[in-house]
Amino acid sequence: MNASDRALSDAVASERNATLPGVSLSRWTMSYFAAGLMSFALAQGLMVAGYGYPHAPVEAPETLALVHLIALGWLSLLLCGALFQFVPVLVAKPLHDNAMPLPTLVCLLIGLLALLLGFLQLGGQISLSLPFFPVAATLLVLGFTLVLWNLGRTLWAARPLPLPARFVVTGLFGIAGTVFLGAIFALVLGGATSHPHLIELTARGVPIHAIAGLGGWLTLTAMGVSYRLLAMFMLAPELDRLSSRLAFHLGSGALAVAFVGGVVAICFEWRLDFPLLTAALLGLGALALYGKDMLFLYRARKRRTLELNSRMAAFALLSLVLAAALVVVTIARGDLSTHAPAIVYLVAFGWLSGLGLAKLYKIVAFLTWLECYGPVLGKMPTPRVQDLVVEPRAVKWFGLYFLAVWAGTAALLFDYPGVFRAATALSLIATVAIAMQLFRTRRLRDVEHATAVAAGARRPRLLWSLSRQA
Amino acid sequence: MSAALNDGLPERIKDALRLVIDPELGYNIVDLGLVYDVSVDDSGEARVIMTTTTRGCPATGYLKDGARDSVEATAGVTSVDVVLTYDPPWTPRMMSADAKRHLGIAEGEGW
Repeated sequence: MNASDRALSDAVASERNATLPGVSLSRWTMSYFAAGLMSFALAQGLMVAGYGYPHAPVEAPETLALVHLIALGWLSLLLCGALFQFVPVLVAKPLHDNAMPLPTLVCLLIGLLALLLGFLQLGGQISLSLPFFPVAATLLVLGFTLVLWNLGRTLWAARPLPLPARFVVTGLFGIAGTVFLGAIFALVLGGATSHPHLIELTARGVPIHAIAGLGGWLTLTAMGVSYRLLAMFMLAPELDRLSSRLAFHLGSGALAVAFVGGVVAICFEWRLDFPLLTAALLGLGALALYGKDMLFLYRARKRRTLELNSRMAAFALLSLVLAAALVVVTIARGDLSTHAPAIVYLVAFGWLSGLGLAKLYKIVAFLTWLECYGPVLGKMPTPRVQDLVVEPRAVKWFGLYFLAVWAGTAALLFDYPGVFRAATALSLIATVAIAMQLFRTRRLRDVEHATAVAAGARRPRLLWSLSRQA
Repeated sequence: MSAALNDGLPERIKDALRLVIDPELGYNIVDLGLVYDVSVDDSGEARVIMTTTTRGCPATGYLKDGARDSVEATAGVTSVDVVLTYDPPWTPRMMSADAKRHLGIAEGEGW
């Protein structure tokens, strides 16, 4: 028996003794995506109508409602839905509990609704005297605790973790910190506590809350997932090299310094400048190394012809580079706080939402294919995942989306609120059109009729997946 | 089973396995190099040793079941055992020339 035969024999023996990695479809991921897209469209509709910044101050309740509709209703739900499916892929272990995402979603959605009503109450737009903020705090803490428990148990069972999963762990610390501060703010704003330290934390802690959420939770997690997904979809080598590990350590350090340093500075009534500036430098270092790694992945890919999702992810990465450049320039000019809304908009809409929409285009097709054609694989000819989508039809909407977001960023930077509304109207049109493409994919509208309805192939549900255990 | 029927059975099994595609790459698992070994004994009991392009892929179970179903339908096969392995891990170098051409990968490229 030669070495190759021995390896194959060992494989036979090892599969008898161990469960080889195969993960099931996440049943509720599509529901998270649908709720997220609806929140995103609603938020942009409100922005087009002139609701919130720049037609109201950054700290106005309307702006805060809008920010949370995007950060929680769109980006966090999108990320949670994606993580319930892809953390198991990252660590090659099944999700700890495949039923828990539904009650989690219910908690998060009702908590978000209560939070939005709390902001409307704060702004005097509704006169109900119900305790919206304490209810929001309770439900959002519960919802994210369930997220942390489910993903945390999945990750814990898979130690030692590969690098992309370690980014996700740091991201989970980010959401824990964000929710911790957010719950304190909600309890203070709702009048449930008048402890002076908590009031001080609410008055000065908003930048830490925002950095932990946008930087720690959303950005670090998206970075980790993109290391793996881009490598998978482009047939590029999976990276675990010095620059990737350094990006992880610098990113984690940035979050730790911003959160711990920031909270300590507030408690001791020190200035926030030092911890936040240190975190910004660490974060920029992490982004530079991450950018270098992404460039390497695109150059080292084996698939010469890129699919739409990978091409559009490059525009999202470009938005992140632009946002980082704006941070550097505005720090140097001393007007970071003036232009912070434009930078946050570019991060949320260009980087995070752009990457999210690009990856949704692939993930929805992939999960729909698995659900519909996976069970008949080997029994009949099946289409490819790419046969479920029509890229030439979708590309113009993605192009419009990114152009609109970049125009909107310029409008905020140069203070043209009317242009910003017009740009947001265009990004809303593009978002709705992309959502329609996802709907068509889910409904198999673009698959040849004969293949779509062939015997044995099941038509997927729009909002949930019929799961199978691998 | 007669020797005549068994002749060329591994090749017929490989042909049957070409019905199974990797959904992401859109090409059959044999030419992608995901099937490491096909063996069949005199009684028609077949064994397929295969892998997936990435560990933890959500399609893993479907690919394994699809391979089993396609081989079971091959004349001369009495039973089939599909074994999954990640040793050695798959690389693009394992693809056939046709699969590489289909995906636009130059001959010999890989990691």
